[in-house]
Amino acid sequence: METFLGVVIGGLLIGGLYALIAMGLSLQYGVARVLNVSHGEFIMLGALTTWSLYTAFHINPLLSLAVCGPAAFALGYVLHRTVYRRILATSPSPGVFESNSLLASFGLLFVIQNVALIAWGANTRGYSYLAVPVSLFGVLFGANQLLTLGCALVVGVAFYVFLARTRVGKAIRAAAQDSTSAALMGVNINSVLALCFGFGAALAAIAGMLISMCYPVTPVMGIPYTIIAMIVVVLGGLGSIPGSFLGGLVLGLIGSLVTYIEPSLTLVAYYLIFALLLLVKPTGIMGR
Amino acid sequence: MLQIVDVSARYGKTQVLWDVDLVVNQGEIVALVGSNGSGKTTLLKAICGLLPLSSGRVEFLGRRIDGLPPHAVVDQGISQVPEGGRLFPDMSVRENLEMGAYPSQAWGRRKETLEKVFQVFPILKERQRQLAKTLSGGERQMLAMGRALMSGPRLCLLDEPSYGLAPLLIAEVFRIVRGLRDAGVTVLLIEQNVKHTLETADRAYVLESGRVSLEGKCCDLLQTDYVRKAYLGL
Ligand SMILES: Nc1ncnc2c1ncn2[C@@H]1O[C@H](COP(=O)(O)OP(=O)(O)OP(=O)(O)O)[C@@H](O)[C@H]1O
Ligand SMILES: [Mg+2]
Repeated sequence: METFLGVVIGGLLIGGLYALIAMGLSLQYGVARVLNVSHGEFIMLGALTTWSLYTAFHINPLLSLAVCGPAAFALGYVLHRTVYRRILATSPSPGVFESNSLLASFGLLFVIQNVALIAWGANTRGYSYLAVPVSLFGVLFGANQLLTLGCALVVGVAFYVFLARTRVGKAIRAAAQDSTSAALMGVNINSVLALCFGFGAALAAIAGMLISMCYPVTPVMGIPYTIIAMIVVVLGGLGSIPGSFLGGLVLGLIGSLVTYIEPSLTLVAYYLIFALLLLVKPTGIMGR
Repeated sequence: MLQIVDVSARYGKTQVLWDVDLVVNQGEIVALVGSNGSGKTTLLKAICGLLPLSSGRVEFLGRRIDGLPPHAVVDQGISQVPEGGRLFPDMSVRENLEMGAYPSQAWGRRKETLEKVFQVFPILKERQRQLAKTLSGGERQMLAMGRALMSGPRLCLLDEPSYGLAPLLIAEVFRIVRGLRDAGVTVLLIEQNVKHTLETADRAYVLESGRVSLEGKCCDLLQTDYVRKAYLGL
């Protein structure tokens, strides 16, 4: 029983991070139609910035949220306004836009990664913050990990409420469901898409900040997270933001279970789920 | 109010509209009829900024609106029921209506407007928590019309609001359209249902292969042999 609880809680701990990351990608891919393979680079930037602020200035990792979040938002917003909007304007069809924007985000991946390598070097970094064991149902967890889950849930729920209740949030959901119709209601689609891109980047950076509290960080840490985010977005249903959040928790639980049985098979299990999903229910658990 | 002057438009290389002229005066219901594929929806797209003109111009209240993006056209006071309704399927009826009030002038008044729209469409009030994708066909059309009213438009563009409805509901749609005019909303109405349309509208334009082939007062058009033969089957 204790091991079972341990596996479940462990799954939620990592799943909370997946949920945030996937929610971010869901905004960029599900709404703005950019399969942003540089998503993980924003996670990396958030993580390394938090590491720098902590080690150089002793700034509490949670406070670096105030830096990473807005900075990543601005970067994502400007990127959409400049790069992706131009690609959108020159693409004759949605299919062409998807492939061209994918290529552009590949380029971006390498640019950001190399800039980070110059800025931070290739070494693996880490710091110790709240790394004290806490006993939960008889199983030991790091306090930093529990804090991570708490933060992920708060950010996830706050964002969900923003989407559900506010005028801009509703416009984002409307644009995800039918962007032409949203435009006919008076929604400025280009700014909504840029907002989505900005929020996606901000969520990635926040996730990176949380990851840096528990795991080692390097300039090349991003890609595995990008892949996980893609799997979760498909798992949760393309364009469904609550679906991405749930999907993240589900994938975390599965990962935790597989890790418990055979740690080396975790990634294999993720790919297997991905492949099965594409074959059986490509619309995802909450997809249309 | 709305002036369409010499408008031509194309999809890629295929030209669909040829030098279309059309005027809608304040307080009128103007109908646009024509067979399938004659370019009615295309003309609507050209008005609302979804399709760039290849030549000509569109003026609203004396100001040029061609070249504006769709959201800016809506801000001028033009709303529409797009072809097929195009509701937001995963939003509730109430949220769909709220989206209609998205322009900033309308957003602050959305609660009062909502009550007014509920008076016109009582069924929407009953269904307000239901997701749009679970509505019946008739309810969807009502929602699409209600949503178009939520911005408090001066001009409303309706693309086949009675499409796929039973006769009783079709009559209801036309009654609502007349109600719009009585409430001071000018209407440009696209319809397949020529008889009902000509009996409801003030003036009408007939579009054929992207050209205006006939125009005039509805009462006059109803008398012409051409319309009686081609569209009323008399
Ligand atoms: N997106 C598009 N790309 C290419 N051609 C199009 C497109 N949309 C419409 N057309 C073509 O333009 C012509 C006019 O179409 P339009 O939708 O304006 O007709 P309509 O009068 O609204 O017809 P209906 O009564 O069936 O709705 C048709 O021949 C159609 O095939
Ligand atoms: Mg049409």
